[in-house]
Amino acid sequence: MSSSRGFAKSIINTLRELVSYKSGVLGLIMLLLLVVFSIYTIVTIPMDRAIAMWRGEGDMWIENPRLAPPEWIQFFVGKNLPKTMKFDSREISLNVAKSSAPVVGTNMRKVHIEFTFNYEYDDFPSELNMFFSSNFSKTTGAPIITITWVKPSGDRINLGDYYMTDNKYSLYFVIDPITRALVSYVRQNYGVEPSDLITNIQFLFGKFTKEALQKGNLEVEKGTYKVIIDATVFGNADLDCRMIVYGDVYGIAGTDHLRRPLEIALMWGAPVALAFGLTASLVTTFVEMIIATLSGYFGGLLDNLIQRVTEVYMVLPFLPFLILISVFYGLNIWTLLVVVIILSIFGPGIKSTRALVMQIKEYPYIEAAKAYGASDLRIIFLYIIPKILPPIVPGLISAVPGYVFLEAALALLGLGDPSLPTWGKVINNAYEQGALYKGYYYWVLEPSAFLIFTGLSFALLGFALDRIVNPRLREM
Amino acid sequence: MANIVLSVRDLYLYYRTRKGVVKAVDKVSFDLKRGETIAIVGESGCGKTSLARAIIRLLPRNVEKFDGVISLNGTDVMKMDEEEFRKRVRWQKISYVFQGSQNALNPVIKVGFQIAEPLMIHKGMGKEEALAEAKKYLRLVGIHESFLDRYPFELSGGMRQRAVIAMALVTNPDVVILDEPTSALDVITQANIINLLKRIKQEMNISYIFITHDVPLTSELADRVAVMYAGQIVELSDADEFYVSPKHPYSEKLMASVPTLRTDKKLEYIPGTPPSLINPPSGCRFHPRCPFAYERCIKEEPPLAETSKGSLVKCWLVHEGKR
Amino acid sequence: MIPWGFLKYIVKRAVVLYLTVVIAIYATILIANMGGKVDEIVIGDIRMSIGQAISQNPQYRNLPGEERAKLIEQLVQQEIHRRGLDTPFFVRSLIYLRDALTLDLGKALTMRSDTGSMLVRNIILERLPNTVLLFTTVTVINFFLHLFVGLYLSRHYGSLLDKATVALSPTSVIPGWFYGIFLILIFYSWLHVLPPGGLVDVPPPENPVDYALSVLKHMILPMLSWIISGLFLGIYGNRTFFLIFSTEDYVEAAKAKGLPPRLIETRYILRPTLPPIITSFALSLIGSWGGAIITETVFNWPGLGLVTYNAISSFDTPVIVGITVIYAYLLMITVLILDVIYGWLDPRIKVQYR
Repeated sequence: MSSSRGFAKSIINTLRELVSYKSGVLGLIMLLLLVVFSIYTIVTIPMDRAIAMWRGEGDMWIENPRLAPPEWIQFFVGKNLPKTMKFDSREISLNVAKSSAPVVGTNMRKVHIEFTFNYEYDDFPSELNMFFSSNFSKTTGAPIITITWVKPSGDRINLGDYYMTDNKYSLYFVIDPITRALVSYVRQNYGVEPSDLITNIQFLFGKFTKEALQKGNLEVEKGTYKVIIDATVFGNADLDCRMIVYGDVYGIAGTDHLRRPLEIALMWGAPVALAFGLTASLVTTFVEMIIATLSGYFGGLLDNLIQRVTEVYMVLPFLPFLILISVFYGLNIWTLLVVVIILSIFGPGIKSTRALVMQIKEYPYIEAAKAYGASDLRIIFLYIIPKILPPIVPGLISAVPGYVFLEAALALLGLGDPSLPTWGKVINNAYEQGALYKGYYYWVLEPSAFLIFTGLSFALLGFALDRIVNPRLREM
Repeated sequence: MANIVLSVRDLYLYYRTRKGVVKAVDKVSFDLKRGETIAIVGESGCGKTSLARAIIRLLPRNVEKFDGVISLNGTDVMKMDEEEFRKRVRWQKISYVFQGSQNALNPVIKVGFQIAEPLMIHKGMGKEEALAEAKKYLRLVGIHESFLDRYPFELSGGMRQRAVIAMALVTNPDVVILDEPTSALDVITQANIINLLKRIKQEMNISYIFITHDVPLTSELADRVAVMYAGQIVELSDADEFYVSPKHPYSEKLMASVPTLRTDKKLEYIPGTPPSLINPPSGCRFHPRCPFAYERCIKEEPPLAETSKGSLVKCWLVHEGKR
Repeated sequence: MIPWGFLKYIVKRAVVLYLTVVIAIYATILIANMGGKVDEIVIGDIRMSIGQAISQNPQYRNLPGEERAKLIEQLVQQEIHRRGLDTPFFVRSLIYLRDALTLDLGKALTMRSDTGSMLVRNIILERLPNTVLLFTTVTVINFFLHLFVGLYLSRHYGSLLDKATVALSPTSVIPGWFYGIFLILIFYSWLHVLPPGGLVDVPPPENPVDYALSVLKHMILPMLSWIISGLFLGIYGNRTFFLIFSTEDYVEAAKAKGLPPRLIETRYILRPTLPPIITSFALSLIGSWGGAIITETVFNWPGLGLVTYNAISSFDTPVIVGITVIYAYLLMITVLILDVIYGWLDPRIKVQYR
């Protein structure tokens, strides 16, 4: 059975047997899911776009909440968690009203913007920001903006006057002037000193009661809110405002500390992991096989040399070397792949394959082939390699998770490709930001789940194949 | 019959496999006298090794049926539990020389120690005493005593075989079972081993059960020959009688397929395939391949009956005097 | 009776291994210095120490800035020449090799050891015992755990426990440090029962017994993560091993000889299997040194691995080179010890040199 036809037949037999092992089938299904998922990802988000999105130039993600868990968390928490709400004065709708009128006798105009919305969520928003844009020229003067906050209870709070310092001006509602405006309103209208614990958002969206204000445990006030923006512009300038009320949750996977939607990294981690793991494993195994065959078949000086090199490799500290190269020269994912392969090819797998080759070399049909004048190359490729391939395949598949986790490990250490969104990178970010101590569990759990899924799929498949190919391991 | 050392009556050994129940030993009975050698011959897969293992109770995990009476010097050892059997029978009364002794020795323990081991376990000897005794037996089988301190891989195949034989003799058992002891060796070594066994038989008066598929090999040693087919003994005759005129058609065919030195013989072969031990043929199990088979052979199983010359044969033709 | 054969074997292995380490470290030097980085480090170091010496020397206190700079430069060039650092790349690399082999690893850029020393050697060696403590302990625990449970399972082949172990063995593909993250999540973030990292409680207990207990408490999670990781595959591997070895002919022969079952297990199954088992112990120990880097990072365990992580974060390149060298030595010693044990157990080796 050393011909190629016999080889093909044995593959089919193997597949047939594989189906009989439940673990093998499970592994295969999981793997297929991963492949489909990866293909879908590459098609929907091409790599360049993914990298650009992950770099998040400028304000790309400014409208996402920061460190927000995924939306489906609310089913476990039982509350109706706030989602991000966006209001833009350029898009007139039921919630948005805008009018502008000149002030007679001056070169000023008054721009009036109103945002009205119903707030029915069970929890406070995480943030509130306003982004103003105006095409004023510095010579005529910057617009002056007055903001009034109207709560369902009827409280009408003047949040102060603000000057646009540039054509694009961001107003973050955590700043002190707003705090002062809120605190003084409470003092004047409720006669109490509000607790230091109350955040601006809680002031804006909380139910004002004397006790709650003093203790600092405001409840969410549901109802209709109105935000009034009165701006005075000079010349023919116009003014627009975009208000973002940031939710507590976002999307299917949440966001990280840079407001990036984690789903990008989670999706892109798949093709990266698959490509890296499979390529590393395939190339390493293939090269190892060739080396072992050459070593076992030709023997002599070549064999000796290869054995010595293998011994040196055994004492080479793999990871420190990888770290050394990475720190000194920087690595992107492709150079990492090459370096990992180079550092792995004279690995321990060579010993067992070589022993097998040496055994096969002595078989009578090899002698017969030599007798009829077959060249060494022919013997190696037609007779020896088909025989040593079956035991190697399970090892190949079982080795993939190792490489996938290696890439994740390097990312965790802060090495690895800095621009590519991978699962390891996400865990690295999470770790550096202290996710485990601050309770951002989803940030760690989501990429971990993907890593585990990938690792297990290859492992299940590889182990099932191992039991098939290695008859001694079969249930006796 | 006071000098019958081993008596086997109605021994059964069935295995459970995925394809069905294998009837490896199917109601086998025979006696072994003191100092006598019985050769058990037959094709591969006829149950000879299973029979041997049944006697020393080396059973696999998937035993379906193990029954019968095995009497050693009058005591039925089948009734003993595992621990008693281990202490009193194994190696004390019956020892075993394995097929392919290349691997019968522990590779990481010195040869001398392994030979001395049964003495230390069964006879309670101290290490020095046991090794001294082992030395004697090494000499007996023709191995230099310096090999006492060597490891199995340092011995040649033939020497390992001798060592295993020494190991089997060291406790002076009543019966030694040899399962194809020479099949992995070259002809010359084979002859040497057989000579050795002959010498020991004469000196120590041990009973051998010699199992082999190589019929002519047994002619030097055997006092009686038993032929096994499909898990049953089909002929049990004195050696002289057997080699000259075998009674059972199968035995006849076996002898006819053996080349002789002196005469110009036309070698015959046995047509057909070996029988299935899961679903053996009906009636006489040899009938599909027997040139003389007739109706009764197909329907009824013949008994193991005695002929005038003292042989036991399981064949209707012989029973009815037609041969 | 001196086992000369065995001693000869040990010496041969030690020599071969040392040569291997030399090659490995030389490779390190070459790679590290391909961009001239090691040169930069060493020369920068010289410059700094000479600069310091000059500024602290009262003789030169009154020297004007320009003159001082010239003097420093002169002394630096002298030193470079003295140390042979103006020789071609190849010769330089040999000099660095000699330094590395004698563990003269220079000074760190920013890091310091706990005792304040800036010598790379001290920074690393000071932390080495912690790594050895944690990882050797865990590897030894795993070794015996897998051995005995594997032996037990090989006897109870086909039982429910056996089938469960086989089914769960793919879980070992996930490395220990990964389990570590989850363990921290469960036992610290959620249950608040165990510390999330570090060596001892802060502040460390005065009483040595309490101190030891505190260290043990901090060792639980990292050890547990590697125990869980290797558990099912390790047991499965050993059990398969023993199953295969218990069907060997000499085991049957031992049974036929009427040897008691206990004896058969120790002398006929365990004993011959030890060489390959020791080999796999060796491989797992070596693997654990590698895994140490990330595990210690996850658990903030003050060992070699954490030093590595800190060195990476602060780009302290001399430390990184130093760590690679130390690791090479560590591996060599581990392999040598295990070669010795293997040689003792496998009679073929003892006999070769008779």
